[in-house]
Parts: sequence; C-alpha cells; structure tokens
Amino acid sequence: MIRRLLDTLYLAGGAVAALAILAICLLVAAQVGLNILARVGGPAWSYTIPSYADFAGFFLAAASFMALAHTLRSGVHIRVNLLISRLNPRATWGLELLTLALATALSAYATRYAISLTHESWDYGDMSSGIVAVPLWIPQLFMDAGLVLLTLAFLDTLVESLRARRPVIADAGEA
Amino acid sequence: ETWNMPVPYGDTTFHTVNIREFAADVAEATEGALEIEVHSAGSLFPHGEIKNAVRSRQVPIGEFFLSTLSNEDAAFGVDSQPFLAASYEEAEKLWSAQKPVITELFAEQDLMPLFSVPWPAQGLYTEEEVLTVDDLAGLRFRAYNAALEKFAQLAKAAPVQVEAPDIPQAFSTGQVDAMMTSPSTGANSKAWDFVSTYTAVDAWLPKNIVVVNKRMFDRLPEDVQAAVLEAAAEAETRGWEMSVAEADAKKAVMAENGMAIVTPSDELMSGLKDIGATMMEDWKTSASEAGQKVLADYEAE
Amino acid sequence: MSDPLIFSILLAVLLVMLAAGTWVAVSLLALALFAMTFFANAPQGLVLATSLWGHSHSWSLASLPLFILMGEILLRSRLSQDMFSGLAPWLGRVPGRLLHVNVLGCAIFAAVSGSSAATAATIGRMSVPELTERGYPQSLILGTLAGSATLGFLIPPSIILIVYGVATEQSIARLFMAGVLPGIMLVALFGGYVSLRAMLSPSIIPEESQSFTLREKLHASRRLIPVMLLILGVIGSIYSGVASPTDAAAVGVILSTLLAFASGGFNWTSFREALMSATRTSCMIAFILMGAAFLAIAMGFTGIPRNLAAWIGGMELSPAALLVALTIFFIVLGCFLDGISVVVLTTSIILPMVEAVGIDPMWFGIYLVLVVEMSQITPPVGFNLFVIQGLTGVDILRVAKAALPFFGLLLLAVLLISVFPGLVTWLPEAMANR
Ligand code: NA
Ligand code: NA
Repeated sequence: MIRRLLDTLYLAGGAVAALAILAICLLVAAQVGLNILARVGGPAWSYTIPSYADFAGFFLAAASFMALAHTLRSGVHIRVNLLISRLNPRATWGLELLTLALATALSAYATRYAISLTHESWDYGDMSSGIVAVPLWIPQLFMDAGLVLLTLAFLDTLVESLRARRPVIADAGEA
Repeated sequence: ETWNMPVPYGDTTFHTVNIREFAADVAEATEGALEIEVHSAGSLFPHGEIKNAVRSRQVPIGEFFLSTLSNEDAAFGVDSQPFLAASYEEAEKLWSAQKPVITELFAEQDLMPLFSVPWPAQGLYTEEEVLTVDDLAGLRFRAYNAALEKFAQLAKAAPVQVEAPDIPQAFSTGQVDAMMTSPSTGANSKAWDFVSTYTAVDAWLPKNIVVVNKRMFDRLPEDVQAAVLEAAAEAETRGWEMSVAEADAKKAVMAENGMAIVTPSDELMSGLKDIGATMMEDWKTSASEAGQKVLADYEAE
Repeated sequence: MSDPLIFSILLAVLLVMLAAGTWVAVSLLALALFAMTFFANAPQGLVLATSLWGHSHSWSLASLPLFILMGEILLRSRLSQDMFSGLAPWLGRVPGRLLHVNVLGCAIFAAVSGSSAATAATIGRMSVPELTERGYPQSLILGTLAGSATLGFLIPPSIILIVYGVATEQSIARLFMAGVLPGIMLVALFGGYVSLRAMLSPSIIPEESQSFTLREKLHASRRLIPVMLLILGVIGSIYSGVASPTDAAAVGVILSTLLAFASGGFNWTSFREALMSATRTSCMIAFILMGAAFLAIAMGFTGIPRNLAAWIGGMELSPAALLVALTIFFIVLGCFLDGISVVVLTTSIILPMVEAVGIDPMWFGIYLVLVVEMSQITPPVGFNLFVIQGLTGVDILRVAKAALPFFGLLLLAVLLISVFPGLVTWLPEAMANR
C-alpha cells in the first residue's frame, strides 16, 4: 500500500518533469515559428513571446528538481561501482547503508534551506527581472517539492535496504 | 576580518576596476582590519542572486545592475527610462532624487546602498545610418526588458529577445540588426565585427550599485564603518569620473576600428524624445508610489 | 593550514566518498559542504540553497534536455540505423570504418551545440548501440565518443568560449572564429588515431560486408536523406537567423519527431518513452551540474584555486615554462572541478600573468578550451565520463581508460597550437581584415 503510494509519487514527479521539458520545447519552437513568420510576413508580423527565455529557465529548474526522486529510483543517477562491486555482499550492504544515510541527511539539509530560500522570496516579494514579472517563489516551489521527494526517496531506499539486507537500487544500464 | 564581495562584471570593466580600488582604499584606511576580497565576473554568485545573497548575509557586500530590480519597485528602474535623464548632469540629479527613496526601500531588506556609478549613455548600434525614427521601422531590435520592448514597438521596430552572450552571433546571422547599449559594452564586445554605425543618441544612463548588509555593517567597529563610508564616497566620485572618461575613450576605440560615430540629427532626436515622453506617460500611470516620488523630486529640482 | 594541504584533504575526502559508491552529485555536494564548513566563513546552508537555485534555471542550459530528447527520439526511430547503413558502404575501405561516424558525427553536432555533454549524449545515444551491435571494440567506441564529444566546446558555438569571452571581455565572435581551425585539427588527429589503430591491428575492426559499386553506394545513400534534412534544418535555423543556438535544440526535437514518424516504426508510445528517458538523463546531468556549481562556489569562498594560481604566478616563469605549469595546474584542478568552473575561478588571477609574459588572450582562450576538454574526460569528475556511464552503464573509470589516448591527443593539440600559434590567430585576423 505505502509502497504503491510512494512509487506513484516518484513517477508523478517524473511526469511533471517530462511535461516541463515538453513545455520548454513547445515554447521555444513557438518563438522560432514566430521568427519565421516575421521573416516571411515582414515586420508587421513580428511577435515575441514575452520573457520566453526566463520561462524556459524556470521550466528547466522544475524539470531538474521534480525528476530527482524518479531518476534515483530508476538507477540513473550515476555512481562509481568498480570498487564496491569487488567487495563481499556484507561490506557492500554496509557501504550502501552508509552512503544512503549520508545522502538522506544531505538531501534533508538542502531541502530545509531551499524551503527557507523560497520563504524569503515570498516574504520580500522577489520578482524575476524580465519583461514579465514572475514572483520567484512560484518556480522555487518546484525546487522545494522536488527536494522533498528526493529526501523521501533516499529515506525510503535506506529503510528498504535495511530490511532487505542488500542494496535495492539496480543500476540502469549494467554492462 | 575579510569580506567576500561578488560582482557581476569582468576585471577590465571600469566598474570592477573602481571596486578593486575601493577595496584597496578600505584595507589601507583600516590598516587591514577589514579586507574586501572581490570575486569578479559572477564567479561567486550569478548576477541575479547577488542582491539576495547580501540580504541573507551569505556575503556582506555586493554589486549589481540597479534596474534589474524594477519589477520589484519602479523606483529602482527610473534610471532606465529612455530620455528621462540623458546626460551626466541629469543623471546626477536623478540619482540625488532616487537615492533617499531607494535607501528606504533597501532598508526593508536589511540593505544599505554604499555607492552607485552609471554606465556611459546608451547609444544606437546599426548597420545603416539612422537619420529619422522612420529608419528604425522594420529593424529587428534587441529588447531585453519591458521598457525596451515598448520602445521598439513605438519606433515600429520588431523587438527580438537576445541574451547578451548571443549578441555577436545574432547580428552575424541577421537575427537582430539594431541594439541600444553603452559604448563600453560595444567596444568590449568588438561591435565593429558585426555593425558599422554608432549613433550617440544618449538615451539613458543606467547604474550599477554597491550595497552592504546593514546588520553586518553595524557590527563593524565605528572607525572601520567611517573608513568604509569614506572610501565609498570617494569611489562614487571616482566612478562617475571614470564613466565620463570611459564614454569618450570607448567611442574613440570604436572609431579607430572603423565604426562611424554619428551625432544624431535633430529630427531623429525629437522623434526619439517623443517616444520617450509617451513611455513616461505610460510609466506614470503604473508606477509605484516610491517611483512617483522619485520622478516628482527629480522634476522639482 | 596551507592550501596544498587543504586541497589534498579535499581530494582524499572526495575519492573516499566516490569509492564507497556515493552518487557523484551527492559526493560533490557533500564535499562542497565539508569545504565550506571547515575552510570558509559563510552560512553554508543558505549558500547551498542559493547555488542550487541560481544554477538550475539558466537559459543557456535549457537546450541540454532538448538535445538529449532529440537523441532519444532518433534512437527509437529508424533514422539512426539508416544513417549507419547509409554510411557503411562509403566507409568500408577507410581504416577504422564506422568508428569515424563517432568523430564526424560529434564534429557536426558540435556546430549546433555549445556543450560537450549534450554532444556526447546525443551522438552516443545513436552510435553506441549501432557500433556495438556491429561488433566494434568497446574501448574504441567509448574512447572516440568521449574524446570527440569534447569538440562541442571548441567548434563554435561554445559555452566555454562565451564564459571566457564575457569574463575577460574578449570578442566572442573572434573567439568562435579562432576555434574553427584547431577544431578541424582535432578532428584530423582523432580520425588519424582511429585509422592508425585500425591499420596496426586490422582484426579488431569488423568487416562492413562486401564491396559496393558506385551505383550501389548511391542507392544506399538515400537512407541518409532524412538525417541530412535534420542536420540542414537545425544548422539552417541558426545561420538563417530565425533561431539562436539554444533555440535550435527545439527545432531539432520538432524535426526529428516529424522525420521519425514519417520514416515509420515510431509512434506515440516511443515518443513517451523517449521523453521519460530524456527526462531522467537530463536530471542526472543537471544534478551533477548543481553539485559542481556548489563546489565551485565553495572553492570561491575558500580561495584555494586563486591562491594556487597566484602561487604559480609568483614563480615568475618564462612563457613556455608558465604554460607547462598552467597545463599541469589545469589538469590537476580539472580532475575534480568541472572545466568551466576552473576557468571562472581562476581567470582573474591567471589572465594578467599570461598577458604580462606577452601571450595573446585570444590564443589563451583556445588553449583553455583544450585543457577544459581534457578535464571532461579525466576521472573522478569528468562530465563526458558521467554522460557515457549514464548511456551505457560502463563504469566511469573504464570509460576514462578508453578515453586516455584521446587525452594524449588533446595534449598534443595543446603542443601544436603552442608551436604554431597561427593555427588559432590566423582565421580571426583574416576575417577582421576582410
Ligand atoms: Na560547439
Ligand atoms: Na575531470
């Protein structure tokens, strides 16, 4: 039950990230389309999507953070395996727990400060500096949500690995 | 004590040169009690993060382009309104109207302005000579903020968003064919590689500003505080002089490299000033109270 | 504590974490936090949050996921297979055969993308499975890919030249011009090395079936048409001025999607898979980039790279000796910082001393690109290695070993441009005097 819920959460984060990447693509392609229109139709036909570069940047941030947990659970975040793969299973398991504990702590720490950064942006009413004024806390919320998911995924993996008495994340493309 | 100071521009930009002198003055006046380590070219924080980094005391002091804050309050962006204050005298007048207002705004964020130095006046870069506003019609005009986009539209040009590093390529591929920037930026980016005419329309003089975190400043011993303020005042005077000298020197560099440096025709200037006036009317209807106050004080002087 | 000692401590901490199997991004973040805590006085938590945010929403990075998506789409369509079958008859007699597709493919892609990671991800996505299936040796597949992808930085457009140009106020247009000849030289060096290896041990390169008549070759080439259209469309969108180099990535995605559907074997399910896979790969790279950015900021606070650079400056070396010392310095720093950070952190110390001994700053920019390219393929922190491990699952240390000859070739290129500086300066000067 909880397993299903968590996996759905990670996947949902990944889906939001994928949509954000699609949004970058459509936004930029639309602007290129408008540029072509202006070339063909002359200056009377020139239109710009205001602040499209800013928006593409914010979508990129949302994509990068929201996919963190899903990417972790899919085994795509990379690590050096050459050395640990030569150890006995017990030592491998021990090191896995150690690295997961470090990663959980670090991720929780980053989450705490990311949230306080967002809170500050909200408090002071920080705005993006482009043609369209975007309150910065809005894109920063995606950073916070993504980091919360990542912390959860690290913790989840730590607990799972403790119970299973072995590493539980398989590497995506073992060769 | 050592203070880390992030600044956005490279070492050869006169703003950075001036700030390094300021840092040296502070170290000398305090006999090393306060050393300022300048981190140039955005090497510590990206430009957009410097103000907030000072606010939250990640660093005690930093520099940034003042009108990037115009979305937070119109008062910060008055110096980027075309043809409102287009000479050094007017810019100085505007700064004395703007300073008390933004000092109050900054105080809400725990920040204190130390000194502010203008870029040389913004001129027009084009391939062909521009004799009247009508010559701008149909040109693809680089616009990087709302004011410039409005400006391009009023001049019947086509606003195009191009990020600063992409400028040379954008010109050489025809993505843009006109832009407004200072002679400093023009000469440093070797504008003669992609355009041949600079028209000195002197549209506005945007400023960089150095701010310090108020709480970290207050923690300094009083004699050190006094030394910082004195060095800042000197840096402001020196920076304005450097800016004046820079404007002429960089125009000369562009001329040496074969660019035509054109004094604008009266017809062009009156057309541009009309556009500026239209934009000011617009601005007044939407500007914050603080922004209105800056404008009123400036016009009263 | 002295800077070299601190540097060694940090390096040891990083190596221990990586060896224990800590994720690369987590290791970089943890190392930076460690350095900030013990060797700098700044609120490390806030600085961490600022770097995570400040370096995740930049416009110039927005093309990375799009290029990766383009590669994923091509992989799932018939286009990448067709490209190799179309080229095979032509390269059948060239020593090294289809391995040259890696080199040339990266060179062509480098003319569109300014990043070496995007180059490795996009070209590798297509070439690694194809070449592996055809029986080419793994070490040469991975080596040519890791090495040639570094061309992304040298052949314009180039992120690193933009960073250098902005920091030092060099003309970016001229720097781009200056990169062209050294770029072609590197392509020749890489291609020459592949041919040499193939001639020395012909057995390692699989036969590409029978020999073809010219008519058959031309007939097979019709399969190249969609890929040619794609390349023309993307490059054309930049050089006709309707798209900036960053915009061109979106053009690439749209065109490759259309062509993939048109050439058959591609449907919406493949598109969804391509999108999810691209999302994960770009997330992996973005996470490491954030770690590298925080580490660079931490290094800025500790002042170690500046102090080390200043220490070299204090030796008052001759121009040649200075270049040797700097090359060693950049290789060592490049092992554990990413190349762009090395440039950003040290130019304000290094450029004045370089200019003082009479070295042309434009030439120095190209020299820097070459040493930064080396840092992309040296372990433990090398972005091309990360990307290729992400693509293939082959451990970065193995990829690094496969890339070692190409590291040597990059060093040779540094030597060549030092002996013949005209390779760098001739083209921009000729363009300026036109
Ligand atoms: Na490139
Ligand atoms: Na490296």
